[in-house]
Amino acid sequence: MQPSLHIENLNLFRQNEHLLRLNEHINGGEILTIMGPSGCGKSTLLNWITGSLAINFTATGNIILNNQNLTNVPAHLRQIGVLYQDALLFSHLSVAGNIAFAMPKGDKKQRYEKIEIALEQLGLKGLADRHPDSLSGGQKSRVALLRLLLNKPKAILLDEPFSKLDLELRETTRHLVFKKISDYKLPAILVTHDHNDAIAAGGKIINLSQKPL
Amino acid sequence: MNINKFTNAQKTHSNGSFVRIVKFSPYVLLFILIIPVLGGLVAVMLPALGWIPALNQYNVGLQGFTALWQTPGLGNMVLLSVVSGLISTFLAFVFCLMILATFFNSHWLARIQQILSPILVIPHAAAAIAVGFLIAPSGMFARLISPELTHWELAPHGVFPHDHYGISIILGLTLKELPFLLLMALGALAQPELASKLRQQHKVALNFGYCAFTAFFKVILPSLYPLLRLPLLAVLAYGSSSVEMPLILGPNSPPTLAVAILHWFNDVDLTLRVKASAGALLQLALTLGLLLVWLMGEKIVKLLCTNSLTNGRREYGGVYWHKLTYILTIAVVFFIVTALIGLVLWSVAGYWRFPAALPDSLTLLHWQSALSQIDEAIFNSLLIGIISTFFAITLTLLCLESEQLCGKALSGFSQLIIYLPLLVPSIAFLFGLVWLQQLLTSQVSYINVITAHFLFVLPYVFLSLATSYRRLDARFAIVAASLGCKPSKVFFMVKLPQLFAPILIAIALGLAISFGQYLPTLLAGGGRINTITTEAVTLANGASRRTSAVYALMQMVLPLIGFLLAWLLPRYIYKNVSR
Repeated sequence: MQPSLHIENLNLFRQNEHLLRLNEHINGGEILTIMGPSGCGKSTLLNWITGSLAINFTATGNIILNNQNLTNVPAHLRQIGVLYQDALLFSHLSVAGNIAFAMPKGDKKQRYEKIEIALEQLGLKGLADRHPDSLSGGQKSRVALLRLLLNKPKAILLDEPFSKLDLELRETTRHLVFKKISDYKLPAILVTHDHNDAIAAGGKIINLSQKPL
Repeated sequence: MNINKFTNAQKTHSNGSFVRIVKFSPYVLLFILIIPVLGGLVAVMLPALGWIPALNQYNVGLQGFTALWQTPGLGNMVLLSVVSGLISTFLAFVFCLMILATFFNSHWLARIQQILSPILVIPHAAAAIAVGFLIAPSGMFARLISPELTHWELAPHGVFPHDHYGISIILGLTLKELPFLLLMALGALAQPELASKLRQQHKVALNFGYCAFTAFFKVILPSLYPLLRLPLLAVLAYGSSSVEMPLILGPNSPPTLAVAILHWFNDVDLTLRVKASAGALLQLALTLGLLLVWLMGEKIVKLLCTNSLTNGRREYGGVYWHKLTYILTIAVVFFIVTALIGLVLWSVAGYWRFPAALPDSLTLLHWQSALSQIDEAIFNSLLIGIISTFFAITLTLLCLESEQLCGKALSGFSQLIIYLPLLVPSIAFLFGLVWLQQLLTSQVSYINVITAHFLFVLPYVFLSLATSYRRLDARFAIVAASLGCKPSKVFFMVKLPQLFAPILIAIALGLAISFGQYLPTLLAGGGRINTITTEAVTLANGASRRTSAVYALMQMVLPLIGFLLAWLLPRYIYKNVSR
């Protein structure tokens, strides 16, 4: 079965104001890019997909992941990973602790071996016991990516994940994230302000402009 | 396989028990605060009207109030309470604003905060004892300037403390409440969005040629004041109805109204309780009246000053205000430091003849004899403090979590109720609460004391935790949920550890507040449960100055240990990862 994420007849409202309408199908390995000015409902869309819509928003429509309707599934059972512009690493845990937090239960030794290998693959060898606050911006975003991938998500949401990185780092990190998405055949949604991000994603681009006054 | 897992989960998980408990907690909070306070007020109203089943008195009437009106010196008592509460609150507020205006955007503000924040930990009773030692005829001040300036070779007959005008009370209250107000203001200014917005606005005003002092009053204060209102009202309510400060620093004939009520309640003549209950109601009216006066004063000031906000005047003698503030700040710090040094010296003083600034000999005798009798009081303080703080922290965390799970802040009504025990004079509702408690349980006074402490610990714990809890990036919870964490796991494994340091601070604060409670311990415990604070207040007016100093210092040491632990532990737990 081909993995896929389907947003079916979504209508999002802030109180009674209609924010956006969306009907999209994303296949595994594809990235749907969503652009638009702030306030047009991009973040709200992602919150709806993860199941953490704020109280003053309402939505109609369905979110279907791998033929399974997630619309009423609680956030923690949706298996949809999110990357934000901030790495949001837990400051009470080490780098390895952050990743282990996301991994399935199991033998401690095996899990930590797995973490070591994964860190090494992303050029983060030897950082397992470091405190997240001591990492550079690029290292933090790679740890956040690892934490996300080792959680084995079924889909990925990217909320301007590169916007805080400088130009060079931005390209390498972007390349890495997109490669992982295509390697794991995960459907993904990218929200960004940056045209280069949108082009590099190589998928469909939707421009949500604010409604005319 | 996954599909099965998902559909099952959907059926069983719609709302876990954790979520239900969390969402229910705000109702528990309201119930647990409203019942004792309002119940206490009603229960004090009945005896005031002459209905006392315990004494077989059922003739409802106004005898209590008649007796109250006929008390000699009632007018003086009321005046003393009103004046000391109002003036001390006003002075503390004005000093607080002057310090903020002078040092806003200066690194000195952080330093002043560091110097003053330990004062917050000092219980009112200990602060009163220290101030009393400072201004007494043979106190540190007299010693520092004698005999060179005064030619006093023997301690003079002074009026301080216990002066008839309540100046000592005002001094004590002002010194104690100034750090509280300042820290509340700095806490408000530390909210990330507000802080950066206000700093930028202040800079804009400076660029327009406003002097820093004027810029603070015209640009910052209008945004800051609403956040200071509740702490100010709490200070005013406390100042007009507290018992510890006037007991230790105030006059005896007549005392403040609150102290007089306490004496009547504790009198062997039980019929005086009717008068005491009537007095408690008068105290309630008095304090509420003062709060209304303050709120009206606020409106008037606002009305008078709205025009001057935009009148373009940039300078109101800022240089002189700056100088005055420097002098006042130094004076306050000097006052506090001298008071503390005096306290330490008295606690280890051997023979100390009058004009000498230092004792002739030092001894640990007072400490040794005090420590040999103090263990029961310490045990009681710890037991009551730990249990009441535990419940306060748990309930606070659950309520703050319910805010986040429901996606909206607690209602304004709930927030006001949380501060109810700080706004209603404790002497008014505590007696009623004690009568109620005695109806329910006849002998278990520990539970009564813990419940009473809880009422005063909760607001401070809530105040201290709310900001950091609400400030925690909401995306952490989303990330954790997207990694498969149930709401309970997000709460216990992500939020609580991330908030480890602020939680410890809140625990230390809760303990400090509980350690410092005098009236609730005395009343709810029926005078049978002694804590460090009740012992210290009892000793302050009778026993030797040296023993009293030891107890006052013990009162400060206990909470200080708590804060030290709260400051040290986060460095070793959750941070044992190499940086």
